[in-house]
Amino acid sequence: MPPPVQSQRSPSPSQPSGKSEVSDLKLQLRQLAGSRAPGVDDSKRELFKKVISYMTIGIDVSSLFGEMVMCSATSDVVLKKMCYLYVGNYAKVNPDLALLTINFLQRDCRDEDPMIRGLALRSLSSLCVANLVEYLVGPLGSGLKDGNAYVRMVAVIGVLKLYRFSSSTCIDAEFPSILKHLMISDSDTHVVANCLSALQEIWSAEASASDEALREREALISKPIIYYLLNRIKEFSEWAQCLVLELVTKYVPSDTSEVFDIMNLLEDRLQHANGAVVLATAKVFLQLTLSMSDVHHKVYERIKAPMLTLVSSGSPEQSYAVLSHLHLLVMRAPYIFFSDYKHFYCQYYEPSYVKRLKLEMLTAVANESNTYEIVTELCEYAANVDVPIARESIRAVGKIALQQYDVNAIVDRLLQFLEMEKDYVTAEALVLVKDLLRKYPQWSQDCIAVVGNISSKTVQEPKAKAALIWMLGEYSQEMQDAPYVLESLVENWEEEHSAEVRLHLLTAVMKCFFKRPPETQNALGAALAAVAERVVNPPKQAVSVFADTQSSEIKDRIFDEFNSLSVVYQKPSYMFTDREHRGQIEFSDELGNLSIGGEPSENVVSAQRVDENDKDLLLTTSEKEEASGLSNNGSAYASPYDNSSASAVGSQTRAESEISNPTATGYSSQSASLGIEDLLGLGSPAAAPAPPSPQLKLNAVAALDPSTFQQKWRQLPVALSQEYSVSPRGVAALTAPQALIRHMQSHSIHCIASGGQSPSFKFFFFAQKTESSSTYLVECIINTSSANAQTKIKADDQSTSEVFSTLFQSALSKFGNP
Amino acid sequence: MPVAASAIYFLNLRGDVLINRLYRDDVGGNMVDAFRMHIMQTKELGTCPVRQIGGCSFFYMRISNVYIVIVVSSNANVACAFKFVVEAVALFKSYFGGAFDEDAIRNNFVLIYELLDEIMDFGYPQNLSPEILKLYITQEGVRSPFSSKPSDKPVPNATLQVTGAVGWRREGLVYKKNEVFLDIVESVNLLMSSKGSVLRCDVTGKILMKCFLSGMPDLKLGLNDKIGLEKESELKSRPAKSGKTIELDDVTFHQCVNLTRFNSEKTVSFVPPDGEFELMKYRITEGVNLPFRVLPTIKELGRTRMEVNVKVKSVFGAKMFALGVVIKIPVPKQTAKTSFQVTSGRAKYQASIDCLVWKIRKFPGQTEPTLSAEVELISTMAEKKSWTRPPIQMEFQVPMFTASGLRVRFLKVWEKSGYNTVEWVRYITKAGSYEIRQLVVSGSKLVMAEGAIRLFSTGSRCHEIRRGEGHLPGPTQPAFDM
Repeated sequence: MPPPVQSQRSPSPSQPSGKSEVSDLKLQLRQLAGSRAPGVDDSKRELFKKVISYMTIGIDVSSLFGEMVMCSATSDVVLKKMCYLYVGNYAKVNPDLALLTINFLQRDCRDEDPMIRGLALRSLSSLCVANLVEYLVGPLGSGLKDGNAYVRMVAVIGVLKLYRFSSSTCIDAEFPSILKHLMISDSDTHVVANCLSALQEIWSAEASASDEALREREALISKPIIYYLLNRIKEFSEWAQCLVLELVTKYVPSDTSEVFDIMNLLEDRLQHANGAVVLATAKVFLQLTLSMSDVHHKVYERIKAPMLTLVSSGSPEQSYAVLSHLHLLVMRAPYIFFSDYKHFYCQYYEPSYVKRLKLEMLTAVANESNTYEIVTELCEYAANVDVPIARESIRAVGKIALQQYDVNAIVDRLLQFLEMEKDYVTAEALVLVKDLLRKYPQWSQDCIAVVGNISSKTVQEPKAKAALIWMLGEYSQEMQDAPYVLESLVENWEEEHSAEVRLHLLTAVMKCFFKRPPETQNALGAALAAVAERVVNPPKQAVSVFADTQSSEIKDRIFDEFNSLSVVYQKPSYMFTDREHRGQIEFSDELGNLSIGGEPSENVVSAQRVDENDKDLLLTTSEKEEASGLSNNGSAYASPYDNSSASAVGSQTRAESEISNPTATGYSSQSASLGIEDLLGLGSPAAAPAPPSPQLKLNAVAALDPSTFQQKWRQLPVALSQEYSVSPRGVAALTAPQALIRHMQSHSIHCIASGGQSPSFKFFFFAQKTESSSTYLVECIINTSSANAQTKIKADDQSTSEVFSTLFQSALSKFGNP
Repeated sequence: MPVAASAIYFLNLRGDVLINRLYRDDVGGNMVDAFRMHIMQTKELGTCPVRQIGGCSFFYMRISNVYIVIVVSSNANVACAFKFVVEAVALFKSYFGGAFDEDAIRNNFVLIYELLDEIMDFGYPQNLSPEILKLYITQEGVRSPFSSKPSDKPVPNATLQVTGAVGWRREGLVYKKNEVFLDIVESVNLLMSSKGSVLRCDVTGKILMKCFLSGMPDLKLGLNDKIGLEKESELKSRPAKSGKTIELDDVTFHQCVNLTRFNSEKTVSFVPPDGEFELMKYRITEGVNLPFRVLPTIKELGRTRMEVNVKVKSVFGAKMFALGVVIKIPVPKQTAKTSFQVTSGRAKYQASIDCLVWKIRKFPGQTEPTLSAEVELISTMAEKKSWTRPPIQMEFQVPMFTASGLRVRFLKVWEKSGYNTVEWVRYITKAGSYEIRQLVVSGSKLVMAEGAIRLFSTGSRCHEIRRGEGHLPGPTQPAFDM
């Protein structure tokens, strides 16, 4: 444990630098060290306190190590504890001196007082010094056999600490098997719980290296262990209950009656005062019933009330933790919360992180019966609260308007926003009105009347300005002064820097010109015509009503990690715990050396190991072979084409898919976890599913630039033209083109262009063989209403197009499968 | 793993470290710098209590003038982490006797280190129960009492208690006078729209107990909640007594309550811990009796003047009275001058919070004092529009009143020695978040304002409260069967 060294680096002004104080302390400690005078313990205490307080604020007091150890021969428990704390903090930087402490720690481990034995053992196991490991095994072994539960409890965690520090010593001493025995036999539940924590950590870490550890880890979720723990659950402390419940979520019951038994046993846990226990129980219920849809539904109903209670009790931070989970449930099954919308009303003084979640939930639970009230409430926030929340709430109104049939009242509200004369409100509302008009053109009369009154000078935000201009152009017939407003806007063309606004302005002027040529002056028309002709007529972007930013796979993964940080961050854990997936770390130079692992040298080795493991985990067997094939080629990322721009594109897309596009990696990681399950289920890697077509292997990181694609598409004849039906699941999953693109990418078929909207989507895919640069091009049109897909395949190597076609078809047919 | 916390820090508002305790070395020793730099010194502070920096997640909570930060490097259980902090703070408070702030931490840092060692080991929460920890963590510094005994004797008390099955109570307690104090404390949360209808209203209540009982007593508590009463009449096979029954939306209990028995017999039975503890918490949304109604009329008279009229009506029994009533009426920032007339209590303008604060120390039931104030504003063009009209807030305490109507029907104490006990029961209702949104009307729209008042005082309240509540499943219904 490195000491918090801060003194070199601009300590805050209130904290002394402490050079002279430390030497002063050293002298005083020396004087006291040998003394046995009465009252010496009290003066030692004062000194120790000073040392500890210096240590806390970051002054390096490691130079006192020798003196501290000398003074530690005492029977005063408080002194002992302070000394242990000190030693624990500095032993690592003073390994030789730390040896001095071994004697008294070992002696204390044999003390008659179990408290002292426990404390000493805890400190001894926290030392983390390489040459002390040998002294630890003995005391730990006897600690595990100690007659007192407190000592055993400490010893169990001690084993874990030893494992983290020197795993081989821990395994060689056969501590894990002792823990295993203790876990199922100890009378004390604290000991049992600590055994469980320790074993879980140890086996999970070992599992990648040894099959035995893997089996042991599986054994933890076997029926006898789970039942043993469940039957004692009431004896466990609240924290240990969380631990046990978390373990139970991994258990797979053999039949439904078992599921009901477990749920009935755990039902009263939902009334526990500790919110963490309630959430953990909820997770068990949700996971156990995943495949039983009607019961799953009941579970939502059952856990709703306790969760709502948790939200309204406790600190804002606690309710935020619960709200995040509630948010997840609401998003999964809004219909269950239709009548609970009032719980999501915001209070004026609530922190904005709570409000934001509540706003999203209010939007999600809006249905025909409660829309009016929810919208009324949202309008309240538009006027009342801080600006970001006000904006969010206006957008929320818009979202509801776009999903509801009865927009009558909502349109009125939106128009009222325009009259509120607050810049940001007007801006947000304009964008919404524009979106609404695209979906409900019948409202144009009412809207235009109000929009016409808005002075274009008060609108500054580009998005809002663009919206206003769009409406001016689109409805120039109905708006009396549209040409003149546009004219004044055009006059300020130079000051307008937003490309979006300029584009809309050009378009609008054109439209206006066609409708009212005399008024839209010739000069204006002429001035713009030159520029306009090429730019005008951008496609009217479809209003994406439910553009889900997250794929369903990711959502499911988050759901699987219910009751953890994933839910709060709204992303699966691998995205923020795996080093590879983490985004750019925004440390400044000063913090650049902030070490996340332990020792630097060790760190490198372990990081490499982790990387290798990760790589293995991330690829299924078939992909592994490809990866090795690729690395044999020497350039893993370069495109087969000897074209620098193409390879740049390739590496760029690769980088993107790794870093900025978490969803893509999300899939590959999921396939990795599938791979693991296979391994677990069948015991040997050979049993993993064989690649669909052994003859044809596709390059997982193929690259092709669009112009090459176009060129090839023109040149090559159609090798195959086929039509097949898409499974209903696939249709359901195809809400946006991205979902399919991601899916195909996991089958090494890449998308170069896509478009369209429901029900008809069009994709251009390409794929490359691993061993040669032979390319396949595919045009694929999917119609979701008739559930069929038309494909045209073109290939460099015509002979293999047949094989590729089956591969493509099988990849497509898997789309939407869980 | 629920929480494998890597480190805990206590910082003051300036970012000075008061306490640091590293539990694991999977994070660097200077994570606190990262916290200071990326959270404390940025606008991030307070925008979200969970934040990821580098590979680590930071959970932080502000408690009085102290930040408590937990650092984890894995996908930790958030609820567990925050609950741990809350419990730890409660523990520290019970040691310092009251306040938890920077000074208390500075004065007790050795004790805090001691406790941090006990309550968490290698990142895993251990025992946080004050009753037990107090048995062996004292600042007396003497060795625990049993150390003087011959070492081969089985160790009594403390360590057994640390780990025992009835973790919350120690054996062999003796009191001369056996007494139980029961406090039902409710807080009413209200959100009233500017038009005077109740948007949201609920009561969160807790039953606090103070037990001074000898031996290992068994207690049984009966309330007038609907399900408990129905079950009782069913068991005794006679019709339920008429009278008010309460439907609890959700209940949670202290770990001492036998939940199995609660689920089968619907009675709250338990072996209480010694001293003070929270027996149960509940939430009620149906049929809440609001103790106060607030009827505000705020008129803008031109650009620089406002007229504020607020009437507060107490709707509980005439023999009861509320204490410490405070009504805060927000006014615009550019308020220059105010003048008041109140029929009860005292009012003043507090510029620091931009509110008119009206205080009434003793507020009898069935009365309706009023405040009328005139507010003069500095005339500025821009700022007036940006006044966001925060809601009127209210604080109060009404002793012997429960907004939910919950009553204790009986409290039985049974101990094998058969002593007599004295039971005390108190009720109190406090304001939770009692918000009434303001409707500001300009003078010309007066007619509409009166309409709003009419709507308000005729009270669509009962209707409003029931609306939209839906049917929450009772907390006590068996939810699952084959």
